[in-house]
Amino acid sequence: MAKPPRIWVSNAKPARGEIVRVRAQIEHQMESGLRSDEAGRLRPRNIVRKFEARLGQNLLFTWEPGISISQNPYIEFTFAARESGELVMVWTDEKDPPLEARKTITLS
Amino acid sequence: MKRRDFVTRSAALGGALVLPGGLARAQSKPATTSLLAPNPAEFKRAMAEFLGTARPVEGGLKLELPVLADNPGAVPVHVWVTLPITESHYCRELIVLAELNPSPVACRFRFSPAAGTAEAAVRLRLSQTQTIHALARMSDGKVLATQQTITVAASGCGM
Repeated sequence: MAKPPRIWVSNAKPARGEIVRVRAQIEHQMESGLRSDEAGRLRPRNIVRKFEARLGQNLLFTWEPGISISQNPYIEFTFAARESGELVMVWTDEKDPPLEARKTITLS
Repeated sequence: MKRRDFVTRSAALGGALVLPGGLARAQSKPATTSLLAPNPAEFKRAMAEFLGTARPVEGGLKLELPVLADNPGAVPVHVWVTLPITESHYCRELIVLAELNPSPVACRFRFSPAAGTAEAAVRLRLSQTQTIHALARMSDGKVLATQQTITVAASGCGM
């Protein structure tokens, strides 16, 4: 989880009520817990367990991936821009501290 | 290289396999089955738990994914609710299920009324040709359901 998340926002200055599309991807092994190493021991599971997107204080949605989500988990979502604020996205996995990304959304 | 090792090792380990913690829900499965085997009990349980007492309704939920998986390790899946979303009528929870994956619950979304939409796209990894199901529970209690079959031509993702 060393590199910063890659974020794309369709419009950082939307009109009020406009639907904004966001794409976000982080680098993460998403170790499923089903693979073994050379000695035959199962590698312990470590996947991104929770993703939260907030606009200012309001929680937009939560995404709970499982082991069926690809490596380097990609998420694309939309939201209606009702207020200006900071879009904060947080990825939480089972081992490391959470990863965060921010993007300022200003109503035009 | 890794997949070949995995296949030979899982055949050799055979009866000594113990499912790791997160998959330990499938207690009824015998230890001799492969780690990538489907988990129909878990799939049925997840469906039943999401539906509750509601009956699934066709329509209102769109699921878009390719019919043929070029890369079974990253299959783009796009799901969205086509019904109008308002402050009072919105999607509470959306679940994507991969019927024959070792862990059938691919992911879960919990939307809030502040979102204003119920749309998401993710990338799944699939172990074999199977049906992907999407279920959405609306704020009025209705559960929308849709599904699509996808063919995994290359050897599926070994996770």
